[in-house]
Amino acid sequence: AARHIVKALGSNKKLTFSARKTLAELGTQLSTIAALNETKGDGVSEIEDRLCAVEEKILSWEEDQSMIWDSGPEEASEYLNAADEARKLTERLESLCLNKDDDEYKLLHRAHNVLQKAMERLEEEFSHLLFENRQPFEPEHVSFRSSEEDVLDEGSIISFGDESIEDSLQRDSVSRASEEYILDLVHPDVIPELRCIANLMFNSNYDQECYQAYTSARKDALDECLFILEMEKQSIEDVLKMEWVSLNSKIKRWVRTMKIFVRVYLASEKCLSHQIFGELGAVCVDSFVEASKASMLQLLNFGEAMSIGPHQPEKLSRILDMYEVLSDLLPDIDALYSDEVGSPVRIECHEVLSRLGDSVRATFLEFKNAIASNVSTNPFAGGGIHHLTRYVMNYVKILTDYCEILNFLLKDRDEDDPSSLSPDMSPTKEEENKSSISTMACHFQSIASILESNLDGKSKLYKDASLQHFFLMNNIYYMAQKVKGSELRHIFGDEWIRKCNRKFQQHAMNYERASWSSILSLLKDEGIQNPGSNSISKTLLKERIRSFYIAFEETYKT
Amino acid sequence: MPATDNQGSFLNRISIRRNQVVSMDGNHEQELEDLELFQKHVADRFADLLSQSEDTLGDGLLSISWLRKLLDVFLCCEAEYKAILLLGRDPSQISKPPLDKLVPEFHDRVVKALDVCNAVSHAVETVRNYQKLAEIAVTALEQRPIGDGQVRRAKKALNSLMILLEEKEGSNHKSTERAWSFGRRSTNATTSSSKDRATSASQFRSLSWSMSRGWSAAKQIQAMSSNLVAPRGGESSSPALPVYIMSTITVFVMWALVAAIPCQERNGLLTHFPVPKQLGWAQSIIALQEKIGEEWKKKKEKNRLAGLLEETQRIEKLGVSLIVFADSFQFPPEADRLEEVAVQVAELGETCKKMEEGLVPLQQQIREVFHRIVRSRTEVLDLLDQGGKVTAPVM
Repeated sequence: AARHIVKALGSNKKLTFSARKTLAELGTQLSTIAALNETKGDGVSEIEDRLCAVEEKILSWEEDQSMIWDSGPEEASEYLNAADEARKLTERLESLCLNKDDDEYKLLHRAHNVLQKAMERLEEEFSHLLFENRQPFEPEHVSFRSSEEDVLDEGSIISFGDESIEDSLQRDSVSRASEEYILDLVHPDVIPELRCIANLMFNSNYDQECYQAYTSARKDALDECLFILEMEKQSIEDVLKMEWVSLNSKIKRWVRTMKIFVRVYLASEKCLSHQIFGELGAVCVDSFVEASKASMLQLLNFGEAMSIGPHQPEKLSRILDMYEVLSDLLPDIDALYSDEVGSPVRIECHEVLSRLGDSVRATFLEFKNAIASNVSTNPFAGGGIHHLTRYVMNYVKILTDYCEILNFLLKDRDEDDPSSLSPDMSPTKEEENKSSISTMACHFQSIASILESNLDGKSKLYKDASLQHFFLMNNIYYMAQKVKGSELRHIFGDEWIRKCNRKFQQHAMNYERASWSSILSLLKDEGIQNPGSNSISKTLLKERIRSFYIAFEETYKT
Repeated sequence: MPATDNQGSFLNRISIRRNQVVSMDGNHEQELEDLELFQKHVADRFADLLSQSEDTLGDGLLSISWLRKLLDVFLCCEAEYKAILLLGRDPSQISKPPLDKLVPEFHDRVVKALDVCNAVSHAVETVRNYQKLAEIAVTALEQRPIGDGQVRRAKKALNSLMILLEEKEGSNHKSTERAWSFGRRSTNATTSSSKDRATSASQFRSLSWSMSRGWSAAKQIQAMSSNLVAPRGGESSSPALPVYIMSTITVFVMWALVAAIPCQERNGLLTHFPVPKQLGWAQSIIALQEKIGEEWKKKKEKNRLAGLLEETQRIEKLGVSLIVFADSFQFPPEADRLEEVAVQVAELGETCKKMEEGLVPLQQQIREVFHRIVRSRTEVLDLLDQGGKVTAPVM
């Protein structure tokens, strides 16, 4: 239409100057508008074209039931690109500040639609990838199955009245702290894909869905791990009701599991969430905590339950094991859950540790009480080494392995020890050794003296004085030997050993005296001489000598 | 001693007894005073809770903030109870009847309470899942312009939410968490790929129980309340009373928590347990019990028992309404319809925010209650041990 006007006007040579000027202005204005329309049209039509292409791609997978990532890397990256494109287009359209009446508004709507479908699909793919490519935890890889199911440690059925106690109370040889060790919890090939999807979803503001999919999948995986490690979930009530044999093996399993779980599994889990969410900020920490919290608390709950249970002395070494492992792992746990989000786990851990410490103290006291109150009604046959003695000395020997822990835990209660340092001071090694020895020395020596007084009581059951001494002699000798021949030597100290030996010798002497004195008295001169004469009555002498031989043989035999 | 209205016949009984006793040592009188004070405090605190429960603005019965207050009340009562039991009297009394039987019984009950605390603590995570799903819906529906894409997103989240909420009694509701990522595929069970996914995921359903197999919150509560026997008239001034009071409080608090928060296996949860109506301090507790019991029954009929938590209920109500909106949505939307929805979405957002701010502190409080119970139990048990045994000379 504009051209018509121009043509018509052009032919009119008599146009005034102003008319021509106006026409010219009109002309330029019209052409600019036309140009604008074209570029706008171009821009939007470009968007539309690309949107159509993207839409096609994404919708083509809608009906397809198979997983995109199963169909090969090309399909996958094509889809990812399409989705990314959809996101960008959406952003562009949004920035055009369209109002409702524009055609472009409908375009934006379409774009959102496409984006939503893409995100929904990506979420599924993400979950699928995580699930299909998880690498189940294999304990063999981490030297897990050491002497696991020892039916029972020889002699680990321990109760004080038990006659059948073996001489060997083995300390369960749990391997010392293992190194931190990162496993591939998800097949490494898949990790870059997961990262791409995560980044894309987060950039498209679909972070919530992605996060949920991830934490849900990893929670399951962690549950699976604990299942493989044979840590069943148990209520506190159940644990309190468990009988000793199963409780014993459960504790051993727990100790091993804790080490592996924290140092290997959780460390790997944290690494995984870093690999996937590393570029996305706090999410990588949050997702780790969220996924692992429940399992960690489940494990700690067992520790809690153990500390609540009754303080039977036979539990002492097991509880010490638990305390030791948790105390060793504390720095690792603090590091893994160092953020605010992780504080509930840290707090719980510290709480359980302190409660186990209380439990150790209480059980140790119970141990002493049990020794003191171990009562026999009949004298121990044969006068040999009483099984109480064996038990106590062997147990004490085991406890030397936990020297550090016991020193730390028992220190506060140790009022008699003037040289005990406050835990806040950092003493030199020598001072530490001295003070730590004296704490343990005090306690162990008191145990020894409780044992001795108990043995004293038992010895009184013998009618025969010589047997009394015989009994004490044997037992004290055993005690001294046990101490001399092991690390207990350092704890009890040479002074104690000397004292012990003296006691032993004294009893030995008394025993000799007691057994032989009656016989020796037979050999004495008294009563042999006939009253009033200086000659020795032969018959009496013969009698005496005969009874001497008899008594000698008898004593010799016993 | 002035008899307040709350104490009613109880105090009268106590005062009569006191008059009957000829010789009183000062200690005993102090004990009685403490006991009365304890009862009064209990009555007051629960009356407070009762009045807050009438709040209709969202902090009412079984809301997060109400529950937190309930736990605070528990901690206060527990502290007072312990003081009465341990400080006000000769410790050797604990090993004599009737306490020698009652206190261990109390402790057994309390161990069950510990397990309930754990179960509830885990279950709060489930509630957080509801919150997160609702948040997705809020994010989607808050966008302008609103189109099919956002509505679809919201609908997906809300549908998952509804599945989660529809805990049928006795079913393993955790399995439906997997429904999260199945989306449309869960409905299409015929194709092999989705079937594979369903079966392999179902292997682990059983592992996501938070408590041990066979553990049931309902049964625990039942067991806890089964031998809850009020001390008879003659014993009412004896130490049996504070133990009974604390037991009742413990059972009530645990019961309320279990009713509000969907923990493992609530099939057959009691809707009331017997507390003699004439006990002054128990009036508010009884009233609250009735209210909560009512709510429970109502919900049970509708088969939606995902917890009576106020915020959960709100989310549910709004969720249902928004799904209706989503189903009938057509682009472009009408303005007034949009406005209605916007109001609901805002309310949903508010509720989510409350949950965000309140659930973690709630969990922390539950842990606090847990640890306090453990500590008190240990202290009293130690005392019992000492009272009953002759300790060997140590050192």
